[in-house]
This record gives sequence, C-alpha cells and structure tokens, in this order.
Amino acid sequence: MFKKILIANRGEIAVRIVRACRELGIKTVAVYSEADRQALHVRYADEAYLLGPSPARESYLRSDKIIDIAHKSGVDAIHPGYGFLAERADFATECVDAGLVFIGPKASSIAAMGDKTVARTTVAKAGVTVVPGTEGEGPLRDEELLALAPKIGFPLLIKATSGGGGKGMRDVYNIEEMPDLLQSARREAQSSFGDDKVYLEKLVEGAHHIEFQIMADQFGNVIHLGERECSIQRRHQKLIEESPSPYLSDDESLRQRMGAVAVQAARSVDYANAGTIEFLVDKDRNFYFLEMNTRLQVEHPVTETVTGMDIVTEQIRVAFGLPLGRKQESIRCRGAAIECRINAEDPYNDFLPSTGRVTLTQPPTGPGIRIDTGIYAGFEISPYYDPLITKMIVWGETRTQAIIRMRRALEEYKIVGVRTNIPFHQAMLGTYPFITGKYDTRFVEEKFSMVDAAENRELYLDIAALMATLVAHDQQEHLSQIYRRQGKESHWKWINRTGKQNR
Amino acid sequence: MKYIAEVDGQEFPVEILDDHHVRFGEEILEFDLSAVNGQPLYSLIVNKESFEGYIYPDEGNWKVLLFGSSYTINIEDEREKRLRKPENESALTDREFTLRAPMPGLVIATSISEGQHVDKGQLLIILESMKMQNELRSPFEGTVVRLKIKAGESVQQKQVLLSIIPSLIRKPE
Repeated sequence: MFKKILIANRGEIAVRIVRACRELGIKTVAVYSEADRQALHVRYADEAYLLGPSPARESYLRSDKIIDIAHKSGVDAIHPGYGFLAERADFATECVDAGLVFIGPKASSIAAMGDKTVARTTVAKAGVTVVPGTEGEGPLRDEELLALAPKIGFPLLIKATSGGGGKGMRDVYNIEEMPDLLQSARREAQSSFGDDKVYLEKLVEGAHHIEFQIMADQFGNVIHLGERECSIQRRHQKLIEESPSPYLSDDESLRQRMGAVAVQAARSVDYANAGTIEFLVDKDRNFYFLEMNTRLQVEHPVTETVTGMDIVTEQIRVAFGLPLGRKQESIRCRGAAIECRINAEDPYNDFLPSTGRVTLTQPPTGPGIRIDTGIYAGFEISPYYDPLITKMIVWGETRTQAIIRMRRALEEYKIVGVRTNIPFHQAMLGTYPFITGKYDTRFVEEKFSMVDAAENRELYLDIAALMATLVAHDQQEHLSQIYRRQGKESHWKWINRTGKQNR
Repeated sequence: MKYIAEVDGQEFPVEILDDHHVRFGEEILEFDLSAVNGQPLYSLIVNKESFEGYIYPDEGNWKVLLFGSSYTINIEDEREKRLRKPENESALTDREFTLRAPMPGLVIATSISEGQHVDKGQLLIILESMKMQNELRSPFEGTVVRLKIKAGESVQQKQVLLSIIPSLIRKPE
C-alpha cells in the first residue's frame, strides 16, 4: 500500500481524506494557504506545507508548487478531493510525469468527460441518450448560439463547456433576454474555469436530477453503487441529496436500467476510480445523460451510508492497483440516507454568503448522525473559498425515519458567529413536497419560500419576544453598571484597578 | 424596568421584576436565562419549560432564531415609547437609500453611473464572493446619486457602494 499521500485540498473534504488515510495506516501531507494556517486539515495531517497567499489561484490551484511539495515530502500519491485541481486533466498528467499516482481517473478520461460537449458526443456514440442541445457543434459564437436557440426551443440552458457546480449556467426563457445572459454566463465561466466557452441544452421542465455513483478498478471492472436524488437545488447548486431516490422509489427496473447505462457511459471513456454519472429524469420517466463528474463528489457520504462502502478508502485501494473489493451483486442498499449541505449563507437575506469567525459550534450527535466538517469554534470563514462548511448526513431505517432524525439533528445544531442555511433546511424538511418525496429541480426556486414555509409552522412569538427583552435588558444593565462604576471615581482609577486585577 | 417588545405587529408588555421574575402581559413568570459559554446562544427556562435561542442585535432590532424560525423584535422601554415623536415616522421615508456590500468581495462590474435613472430590479453591481457572482439589484425605481466604487475593487462587508433616491420623492431639478 502507499506509504504517504498528499492531499491537494482544504476544508471538510481534506479532513475526510486524512481520516481514510489514518485508518489505512498511510501518512498524510496537507497543503494550506495563509488563510488556512489553523484549519483542521492542517492540524490533523502528519505534515503540512504552506502553499501561498489565500486566493485559490495563488495557493490551492498552484499545481507546480503542489508537485514540488510532493517531491520534498516524499509522497507516493496525490488525492485531489473535489474542486480546485480535481478535474484538471493537465494536473493528472503532471502527477504521472512526476512519478506520482493521481488518485482519480486517467488524464484521458478526465479530458473526455471534462469538456461537456465532447462528453455528450462520446456517450451518445456509445448509445446513451443525451438532452438535446448544441453538442458536437464545437465552440460557437454568440450569433451562432442565438441562431440555434429557436431550433432547440425555449426554455433552454446556457452551460459552460468546462462547467461544474452551477457556475456559468443560465436559464433562458426567450430570445430577447438571451444576449445578456450569454454575456454573464461567459463572464462567470471565465472567472471560474478560465474558459468562457458555452453551449446550449434544452431545459427539461419538471425534471429530476438523479446521479449514479460509479466505482471502477484498473482491470476493467466497473460497478455502480446506486443512485442519489439531487433535485433540491438553488441556482444549480445542490443543497440536499438523498438515497434511494423517492422518485425512482420501487421502480427497480428503471433503477437497473439507469445503473447499466451509467456503467456503460463510464466504460466508454475507459474509466477507473470513483466517478458520478448525472442524469435528468423527466416526468414521463425518460432519462438523459447530463454529464460525468470525474472525481469524488461532495455528496459521496450519502452512498457510503446506505451501501456501507468507504468510497475514499476504495479510491486509494484501486489507485494503488488493487481490484475492486465488491462485485455488483454484493451491493445492497439498506435504509435511507439524507445529506444537508450547511453553507455559510443567510437564507433570510437572499442566501448571500456570510463570513466571519465561528464563535461556537454545537454539533448534534446520537444515533444515525454523521457530520463531515472543517470548522470549529474560533475558525475564521473567509471569502476566498466555497461557502460549504459542514455536511450533515443521517441514516434511517425508512425515509420517514431519516427525515424525522434530520429534523431532530438540525434543531440541535448550533453554529454561532456566521449565518448558516440551517433554517432553510429546517423549513424544507417541513414542506409537504419534501416529506412526500414529490419534488423536482424547480422546487426551491419556483415553489419554495422561507416566508411561506414559516407560515405553516408553530410560532413562538411570545417566547421570542420574552427572550429578546431579557437579553436586551441584561445588556443594558451591564452597560449602566460600567457607567456607574466609571462615574463614582475617576475614569483613570477604574482602568488602573482592572489592570491590577488582571495581573 | 418596563419594556414593550413588538414582533410581527404584536406587542408584548414585559416588566422585569427581579433576576428571576418577569411580568409578561398579565402573568408573572419565573425565569432563568443563561448565555452558553458567554456566546449569544441563550438557554431560557421559563416556568420550567426549556428553550434555546440564538439572539443578536441587527440594525436597531433584535433577531431571535428559535426552532428554525427567525423573529425580528423591536424593543423599547415604555418611557422611550411615550416620548417618541410621531413625526419621526414620516421622516424615515424621506431618506436616500444606501446600498452596502452584503458581504466582503470583489466588484466585477458596475452597470450604472452617477445620475442615472434606474428601474426597480435593474442590475446595479456584480459582486463576487465565495466563487459566486451575486447580482445586486435596485429595490425600487430611482436615481443613482452617488457611486462609491468601481469594477476591480475589493470591498469590505457593509461598505457603502452607492446611494439611490427613490423616484417618488425625487428632488425637483
């Protein structure tokens, strides 16, 4: 097995990978930016190296420095996590050229799936249905896209060719608004991926976003670990994921067909390691290939929870050259798992990001709860990185039990110092569509509001009023005490005395 | 001390009798309030019922996060309320609106200039933070009277970005 692994990432995912390495008896090397000196991944790792200033392009995206550190520290392999360098084919190549194992797929698979237009063409050739769009046309200029748009039909989606995580993506409902949206999509794509190429895709309405977790070794064995329902999204960012999907529910034959297509799509690019095939499923249960994520996903714990497989450990094993530990027939999903992504965002203020020092965290524990996080009381949340600060995953024997457990856990979870979207999750888990599993990708943006959700809930106006008054009174008393003390004697004496007391 | 707490249009009279007793409306309640580890997270036991809330000041009001709902509470002591002059309320609307940065970030673009007329919902500024581009839009129709930043600048949270005078009370030219 590997002796030492470098983790080219930060936050909760870096901590997750350190944990897998620890359990495998592998030494770990962390890298960090100036903002992350006190981050958990730095403190948990066996060794830690400074990369540079806080902005990602000067730290976590500096592949040259990371490979240098890999040599200096004598690691055998690099785990890229998700985001940053995880889906950069050139980085995978650089690792291999430097004699290091890249814990992920081959550079050629990343390249084939990374360019979304190439990916669509490749899987279409392998007989997989894709959502109609401008795939296979190559890069197009705005005039060409505007000319093609009416042929695809509105509504449609502008998507970044090198896209991911909802960035550089825009919904278009008519031709008039399209030029402005093209411009803003290109601008966001350029700043996120250094590439402003975009393409068009038909917007499937009332669709479900359902993805299949793939695991493949270097001997051509490919299995899937079932699906994750990811339709609770806002601005194309996933917020809640669950497995099994309530939409597929008991439709075992559809699940088997989708799983088989996912395996086939992975095979079409000669895939090895962990990956995810994303599908759109329309209201008539037709499914279309959307894209493949050639990396570990944020939501992988959902699958780990229902299958019992440690995906990160399995990634390391197959990257080392071992065959898959499990066969397709032995994969059984037990119960139901739900993940809530807790972001430093204010749900009462249009989900604007919130930064600052976390002054207190009180995470829930108890049966069926898993928390993957990189924060602690005293940690500073900076504006440089993703707002995801914690993932909370629960398991239940049934979906209903999982929902009840998640509601209990959200109630217990207290994070003080920054605003979080915990109230959003609490509101969402109380809605009828979520409880009954009848929601699609438009639910959050079109049918959900924090205000409406609050209307259906028990109110504690009196308790809230009482609490606030007691706190306000307390603070006022405290202040007037200070003034009184200052008034009795001279201001300087008072400071002098506290100075002595503190000695 | 007597206070009036107002939430969602409802007023609650609160009189603090001593450290553990309060008159709440007609009732006298026994309470115990404790800040968890000195943080704005409070445990309140009132007549043996236990509650936990996250309480913080916000723009002159108090916010209470309790059982997953957020409450905005305005607290005045009774004397203050009696003395308050009614004309203050009308004066409130006669002010220009100041747009402050809702978070620290980088100004990607400003799509307006000083003196420009803007419609409700019109794009004013694109601010990038945590890798997302956030579009800040005008809350009403009006005229941009001051623009304090330009594209490429970094801004701090709450930094003033621009001011708008709403159309209805636009000063005659």
